[in-house]
Amino acid sequence: MDKTQFLEELKRRLSGLPQSDLDERLLFYSEMIDDRVEDGLTEEEAVAGIASVDEIVEQVMAETPLSRLVKERIQQRRGLKAWEFLLLVLGSPVWLPLLIAAFAVCLSLYIVLWAVLISLWAVDLSLAVSAVGGLFVAVFDLIRGNPAGGAFMLGTALVCAGLAILLFFGCLELSRGLLRLTKKMLLGVKTTFIGRENTER
Amino acid sequence: MDIQLKRGLLDVCVLAAIKDEDSYGYKIIKDMKPYLELSESTLYTILKRLESAEMLTVRTAEHDGRLRKYYHITKRGLNRLEEFRDDWKEIMAIYRFITKEDNLNG
Repeated sequence: MDKTQFLEELKRRLSGLPQSDLDERLLFYSEMIDDRVEDGLTEEEAVAGIASVDEIVEQVMAETPLSRLVKERIQQRRGLKAWEFLLLVLGSPVWLPLLIAAFAVCLSLYIVLWAVLISLWAVDLSLAVSAVGGLFVAVFDLIRGNPAGGAFMLGTALVCAGLAILLFFGCLELSRGLLRLTKKMLLGVKTTFIGRENTER
Repeated sequence: MDIQLKRGLLDVCVLAAIKDEDSYGYKIIKDMKPYLELSESTLYTILKRLESAEMLTVRTAEHDGRLRKYYHITKRGLNRLEEFRDDWKEIMAIYRFITKEDNLNG
């Protein structure tokens, strides 16, 4: 890949960035390549020495706040024609509720996931409490001279304790998974803004 | 190395690289190479961060028929370097504390 190809590719992939940001970045990489060439490398070697376009896009994505990308995208779209604007307004009774509904459904699905997790944690907690409580009752029964009842309560308490421990690790793993999912979704939202050009082709 | 720790160090390293004379992107990377590997995109982010923190200023100058950006350290940047020296004394004290614990255990 030579310098022009590299810069073109970078420009295409980062087209979701504000124009001034993009120009500045492109100038920066252009200067870097020129300086490497001046240092005795060929243009291809110079480009290869710089991180791949994918790596750069990934880093830019992680660094640029979502609000900035959204703002840029809205600004780019400002050039609406009069009839498009009219359609948008006239159609708003249809698309606005649909949009809100879609958003609400997504949000509620997400909340449900957390609700399930929270209830699992609650079950785990109650198992742990039952285990401790059962142990006390078992000791109490033994003191009161009821060995059969005591043994039964001891067994129950142990089963509860075992289940609580198993469930604890399960819940922990699920919580981590859900956090990872959240992170991925946020990154996915960002990608739709930055990688816009890329997906259109 | 711990990411937060490294990030703080990188900022100071870049400031140190332009402390004595104005420098440009490629030279900064080359000067730092013996000590730590710095990618172009990372350097870009650091330079932007230092610029908005007013620790350096940028000027564009012609070089060999093309434009090149030179970075100049400001008073605030020099202060940051000075601060780092003081911070480092504290870090060394903490380091001695940590390794002392190690010696006791080992």
